[in-house]
Amino acid sequence: MSSPTSASSAATPRLRRNTMLWALLAMALFLVSTLLGLFLRLFQGNSFPAVEPVWFYSALTLHALIMVGAWFLGSMAGVHYLLSRYVRPSSAISELAMGGSVVGVVLISISTLLGKFGVGWYFLFPLPLYPNGAWSPWATIVFFAGLAILAVFWLAWVLDLLRAIARRYSLSMALGWHILRGAKEPEVPPLVLITTVSLVVVTAALVAAALVLALFVLHGSGRANVDALLMKNLTFLFGHIIVNITLYLGVAILYELLPAFAGRPWKTSWLVAFAWNAVLLLVLFAYLHHLYMDFAQPRWVQVVGQTASYFLSLPAAAVSVFGSLALIYRSGFRWTMASRLLVCGVLGWVIGGIAAVVDATVAVNSVFHNTLWVPAHFHTYYLMGVVLMVLAFFDHLSRELTGSDTDVPAAGWILSLLLLGGYGFLAMFYYGGATSVPRRFATYPEETLQGVIQARVAAAFVVLLLAALVIYLSRMAARCLRAFALCRNAS
Amino acid sequence: MIPQYKALLAFLIITAAATATFLWVTRNTANKERLNPEAVSKLRSRFAITCALLLIAALALTLPHLPYPRGSEIPDKVVFVAAKQFAFGLSEAPIASDAQWEAASQGPAVRIPANRLVEFRVTSLDVNHGFGVYSPGGTLLAQTQAMPGYVNRLRLRLQNPGRYPVLCLELCGMEHHSMRGIFEVFATGKE
Amino acid sequence: MTFPRIAACLAAGAAALWGQSPAGSLNQPPNEDLYLYHSVPDILVRPAGKPAMPLSELWRERPLLITMVFTRCAGVCYPFLRSLRTATESAGKPPSGYGILVLSFDSRDTASDMKAAAAGIGARADEGWIFATAAEESVRRLAEATGFWFRWDGERRQFDHPAVLLAVKHGRLVRLFTGGRIPAESLGAILRDLAGGFVPSYPLADKTSFRCFQYNAATGSYSLDWGAVLLVLPGAAAFLAALLTFRPWRRKCARAPFQAA
Ligand SMILES: [Cu+2]
Repeated sequence: MSSPTSASSAATPRLRRNTMLWALLAMALFLVSTLLGLFLRLFQGNSFPAVEPVWFYSALTLHALIMVGAWFLGSMAGVHYLLSRYVRPSSAISELAMGGSVVGVVLISISTLLGKFGVGWYFLFPLPLYPNGAWSPWATIVFFAGLAILAVFWLAWVLDLLRAIARRYSLSMALGWHILRGAKEPEVPPLVLITTVSLVVVTAALVAAALVLALFVLHGSGRANVDALLMKNLTFLFGHIIVNITLYLGVAILYELLPAFAGRPWKTSWLVAFAWNAVLLLVLFAYLHHLYMDFAQPRWVQVVGQTASYFLSLPAAAVSVFGSLALIYRSGFRWTMASRLLVCGVLGWVIGGIAAVVDATVAVNSVFHNTLWVPAHFHTYYLMGVVLMVLAFFDHLSRELTGSDTDVPAAGWILSLLLLGGYGFLAMFYYGGATSVPRRFATYPEETLQGVIQARVAAAFVVLLLAALVIYLSRMAARCLRAFALCRNAS
Repeated sequence: MIPQYKALLAFLIITAAATATFLWVTRNTANKERLNPEAVSKLRSRFAITCALLLIAALALTLPHLPYPRGSEIPDKVVFVAAKQFAFGLSEAPIASDAQWEAASQGPAVRIPANRLVEFRVTSLDVNHGFGVYSPGGTLLAQTQAMPGYVNRLRLRLQNPGRYPVLCLELCGMEHHSMRGIFEVFATGKE
Repeated sequence: MTFPRIAACLAAGAAALWGQSPAGSLNQPPNEDLYLYHSVPDILVRPAGKPAMPLSELWRERPLLITMVFTRCAGVCYPFLRSLRTATESAGKPPSGYGILVLSFDSRDTASDMKAAAAGIGARADEGWIFATAAEESVRRLAEATGFWFRWDGERRQFDHPAVLLAVKHGRLVRLFTGGRIPAESLGAILRDLAGGFVPSYPLADKTSFRCFQYNAATGSYSLDWGAVLLVLPGAAAFLAALLTFRPWRRKCARAPFQAA
């Protein structure tokens, strides 16, 4: 049986070491951010009556940015490692990106935790320029400096992966166009196809982020009066895509890892190639569902938004999910912690996707927009989706690199606890959305007091989730550290 | 049933079906078997087409219910709404200055006849806010963004008399959660 | 739509540009926002050379534009009427979907005065123009309900009054235009409103750079603006980045073969 990392001969010790370091960084950020999340739910459950709400909003901002950053980087690290079976991305750029990310995260932490900069991770124009006494201008500057650093270094990494793919594949090959024309040869692994699509799109997102920053500067310095509607479009073009693509990078990992556990190949078929090319076209328009409640967008734009959002679910989800299930059905599937996490991740992706399609309906969005339904759906495909997929990769790789191939005895229990904590916490979000509880409220007004109870129940589930995570991740971190040391000795 | 519950129900039903499928497949992974690739690809095409048809049906069912008003009806009343950190000013007269906003947000609640078409003209004097209209019982009824530089027109016909709170549905600063407005719907008697 | 008004207010930040009291502050034209969607009293009018009829007969079939004048006016009335006449030439003539009522608020005006006024601006009855008089009390009621006012200035021997155009649909005031002259675009926007065209949103003060969409009040349509270019820029940049990395134009015969390190 071929192991998912059987081509690890292609991976240099430096790449393995870097990947382990990325794993440790992502897990550490994940835990910190989950703790922040627990703080948020406890705050909404009125556990800290003496703490000023401004802390809620800065913690909210930091929680989301770290979560988005951690798993974008985690999935990039996974894709970078797996790509090395086929092409050779630069380890130096990845290390540079790590340095830049650390600096960026530190700056953003300073701005939010010391500067009380609490505008939400999407820093919607023009809120950062209206502190109303909550934060000082330096916090705004430090925050944007941190973001700019992240955008630049991430873009460098993204472009380098593209460059590596381009050294071996032509654009039409990497996008599987020959397969669309009916050819069978040469083979293009789904990993390469999905990664190419994702990286091209993420480039657009990072350029949009840079544009937002530039327009903020233009407006802040009084050189232009920037249109709030344009800024909102750009903000969500960037914000939606970066989250969406993190998911797709996780799916790229899935396509590469799952076959090893199933003992069946997962090739780029015509439908797979078609699906991901359709994603390339549609994903740039899906963000429009964030602007349904902006009546200033022309009606036809909203209709395009709903149509694009609906059909985006079809190629990626329907094709990939069906593919996953067909791959494991009666395959003699090897159930390990990693493969369980992968399958659970696919289920989380599906459930989050269904909730997303429901919310992407304009008529429904009218009563769901900016209620807890929104965090409900993206926490589902993030926490119970892509996070599990990337953790599966780290789990598998750290095992292979350290030669510890057997699961710990309590693995089943840990996973159950993880799922119970996770879905219990999510259920409160869904319930909150259905009962009109607004999102991003530090405390709830009398009309939506049900939110307080929901937050307390959710916090209890988060504690369960955290318990599972601490047990599971501490073992994994120890393995990663061992693997890191081994690779260091090897090089 | 309120639209929120309908959406929740649809979500739960589809999710249950998906989860059941997952459970069924994951319970059938042991007996190693060579699948007939043609049968798999046929099933896959069928599944994709079914999904596509379901999506098209959902589009056809929901797109006619866009919340954006059409002009065929003449509203019975206009209410001007100006949002500003951290209150909504609602008034029967246009709100063009901070002073007018203050008067509107602190004055008595605007009164609106029940069962009449009301047009809210919503704008913001500073950052983005969300004009979220709640029922007296705390159910979100409708919303539109309050965006600086734009006037969004939300049209509503409210049946039940009572005091309707307005909550802010776009993060707007440190007092976002306490930002609110209110209006009162009164019974018109004759209907 | 009232955006020019709110726009002016907000842009200048001027609190008291328009009076807030329905009576209207002295010498100010009525504020459209204060009368929007109000019912217009169904007064009796006497079209020149025809029997008297209620206004409801005029607005039953089609929307009605009402302007109030006096024939001895040496000020705003005739320029306004002429601009209205010109605007109808380009924005669509009255019989196609609406009528225009020119109502005298001066009790001295007679049917023949009104006929002369019609001839003076070249307005024809078969094109939907109606020149009429009404009882003094009726005129007062109409004026009060729409914010219109007129005062006799004994020194100038003229009425002091603003120039307004009321757009009425099914007896309700849908638009209220004020100004010395009416441009064709404004009339176009009013007619579009009357026809039931509607946009759920409209932009305020036009000091904004890079809008995504430019709203055209006359046609009621959106057109893409420079902001839309900025919006396509990320996608275009990504496309360009892909082209520059993959360079499909360089027809290399073989891609670098992959060697495991
Ligand atoms: Cu607000």
